[in-house]
Amino acid sequence: MIDIAGILMQNILYVILITLGGVLISWSVHFVPVGGAPAAMAQATGIGTGTVQLAAGAGLTGLVTAGAMMEITSSAALVIAAGAVGAMIMMAVTMIVGTWVYVYGVGCPPASAKVKYDPITKDRQDLYVSQGTEGHGLPTVSFVSGVIGGALGGIGGSLVYYALMSVENGLPLADLVGIASVFAVGIFFVNAVIPSYNIGGTIEGFHDPKFKRFPKAVLASLIATFFCALIGVLAIGGL
Amino acid sequence: MEPLTGMGVLALMGAAATIAGASEDLESDVGSQSNPNSQVQLAPQMMYPHRIYNKAVSGEPPSNALMCAIGGTTASVLMTTGASAALALAIGAIVAAAIHGTYSVTSYLGRSASQKRFKQPIYLDIIRSHTPVIMGYSFITTFCILVVSYLMVAVLAHPFPLPLLAFIWGITVGAIGSSTGDVHYGAEREFQAVEFGSGLNAANSGNIVRKAESGLRNGIDNSWFCAKFGGPVTGLAFGMTVFLSGWVTAVFDPSRGDAIGWVSVLAGVIIVLILILWNRNMEVAARAAFGTYKEDEAEAEVAA
Amino acid sequence: MSAGGSGAAAEAIPQNNIIAFGVLGGLIGIYGAYFLVGMVGQYMSFIGALGAICGMVWGAAAVRRVASYGLGTGVPSIGMLALGMGVIAATFGLAVGGIAGPVIALVTAAIIGLMIGVLANKVLSMGIPIMEVSMTEIATAGTITIIGLAIAMTGTFDFPVVLSQVISTGYIAVIFIAGGLAILHPFNACLGPDETQDRTLMVGVEKGAIAMIVSGIVATTNPNASGALTILIGIALWYVAFSGFYDRTKRDAYDVVGAGMLPSKEELE
Repeated sequence: MIDIAGILMQNILYVILITLGGVLISWSVHFVPVGGAPAAMAQATGIGTGTVQLAAGAGLTGLVTAGAMMEITSSAALVIAAGAVGAMIMMAVTMIVGTWVYVYGVGCPPASAKVKYDPITKDRQDLYVSQGTEGHGLPTVSFVSGVIGGALGGIGGSLVYYALMSVENGLPLADLVGIASVFAVGIFFVNAVIPSYNIGGTIEGFHDPKFKRFPKAVLASLIATFFCALIGVLAIGGL
Repeated sequence: MEPLTGMGVLALMGAAATIAGASEDLESDVGSQSNPNSQVQLAPQMMYPHRIYNKAVSGEPPSNALMCAIGGTTASVLMTTGASAALALAIGAIVAAAIHGTYSVTSYLGRSASQKRFKQPIYLDIIRSHTPVIMGYSFITTFCILVVSYLMVAVLAHPFPLPLLAFIWGITVGAIGSSTGDVHYGAEREFQAVEFGSGLNAANSGNIVRKAESGLRNGIDNSWFCAKFGGPVTGLAFGMTVFLSGWVTAVFDPSRGDAIGWVSVLAGVIIVLILILWNRNMEVAARAAFGTYKEDEAEAEVAA
Repeated sequence: MSAGGSGAAAEAIPQNNIIAFGVLGGLIGIYGAYFLVGMVGQYMSFIGALGAICGMVWGAAAVRRVASYGLGTGVPSIGMLALGMGVIAATFGLAVGGIAGPVIALVTAAIIGLMIGVLANKVLSMGIPIMEVSMTEIATAGTITIIGLAIAMTGTFDFPVVLSQVISTGYIAVIFIAGGLAILHPFNACLGPDETQDRTLMVGVEKGAIAMIVSGIVATTNPNASGALTILIGIALWYVAFSGFYDRTKRDAYDVVGAGMLPSKEELE
């Protein structure tokens, strides 16, 4: 049987880092402007897909870049920054192409229905919302919010991966990469789903009134990830 | 690695990813998958039964992740027995496409059968004609994603194993496809009967176009339309994601020192800033070109 | 993808029977394969996949129950959650548990699932009455699925073997997604007001058989597991389940026609 207390004491820092990573992922999902199914019909502001899927797409892209970076550097900050950049690029590219489709394919300008003026550009929004919709496309504030969300998600995912890779253990590198990446993916999905239940479908970004709900999801993620971090560290540290 | 080799591999990955993105989007349009499918699902309830494939394989990211993970697994198994990479990737993609076909058929049968009270019939000719098209597109998508993943593992020495990388890129291509190209299908093609240039009025929900240029509209008609714009831009989006996220480290190779690693991070941030400005530019241009939908009430009063 | 209505789903088979089927079938499959591979020979590894199918059918039934209340987001999210929790619990259980590994994994999964269910209702105020129970069920079912498929691939749940043959090689990714879809796809595929439990669960068996075939493909690389037998049984099971599903589709559908026009206006009224 493994020495539970010993492993935990030795790796308490990594438990905390993993929990922090999970909380960041949970928080990041609130920044990502997703309009869910209505946005696919240009019926709501944001990207036309589900929260979990988009956050996972961005976060896992970040995980891929962070994994590559982890091979060649020992700098934690660089690994985490690489993860953030990978996720930010994925999110920004997705949103810019989304804007192409809304503007050139559907013929409607980006507009938010939740605020009258864009908090960043101060542009009037309500006049550009077409009849019978809750806004459409990605106004600047949503775009910036999405980039922030991508960055936080990438940071969170790579932080979890970095911490799991750093736990004291006796595994060969290939096995360690395998188990750490699988745990990171698992923790990522748990923390992407929790906030999506909190948001309940659609959110426009940090200017959306629903954004204020984030402490609930962050709290839930904190508890859930802490438990996952404990068993993750125990599993890897015991080997 | 030689920087030039790295760039060459990256270019190949970008090209494969572009094809993968385009075929992913068209695959989801033939079968009407993901978010726009909510309207296809709603239509019979609003008394508009239709002849459109209703493929609800759990949203695009998981379904593409499944295809790619199965393809990657089969290819990886074959490669351990000594098969050549090209053959292994092709067979992997065939297995994945076949399994995706079963998922598509169960969705169409299942969803249509669950709409009995709205009198939505099941058309077997739709299954016979559309499923091979869906499988064909999913073969292309899976094969291209496997090429990207294989190049990352074999040439760029990425630490993740092939099936896991394929799984992750599958999630990403699905997320991108459902965020970009699907909007063209959902907001424009499904509601081509209403005037161009606005979002879907909630009052029109479910009133999808059911008649085609000739006969009744089906999913293949939809992919014909989306292949003109939605599919290619989805391809560009996924190609750009794969290319740009690799480009920053290929040009500024972090293995030559942490300082250069930070330059690569900076380069990534600059790319993102350029994209933000580009989005702003399009926003301003679109508003100037299209104008407002309603008059400003305060201004209207002053004018009066 | 918004999905689900509101209110409890009609059940021909009570959920408690399905829980018993999932837990017992799953554990019997897992331990049966483990011991029989040692005693009889490597070709018994397919029993692990049968255990996994019990888990998947249970998971699909639980998803059906909870998603009928309307989650506010797509059905897929809950499948991803199930396998996210399951993969963590399964890896932990097998890593620390030795011979008791699967049981420890199930208990861990139940704790994580219960915790997420409680958090969902108490902190996120989702207000779904069966959320706690369902989350516990889904996490446990996900764990059975993962362990069962891993045994079908390797013939054992000894962690060093699982680690080097399933996790390091990345085959865990296909377990994750094939198992996850087998749990979430049945209800998602049959979503609608006239959904019936037996038809939905039949899709669960059918998708489980596909996961079994895939695990058989992986098993061919492994000397302690028999790929050919797993694939053959998987294909046979798939055929039976798909035929069963198609029969139930014909029973439930408004009409199954070879080709034809849309229903006329008079028909719709």
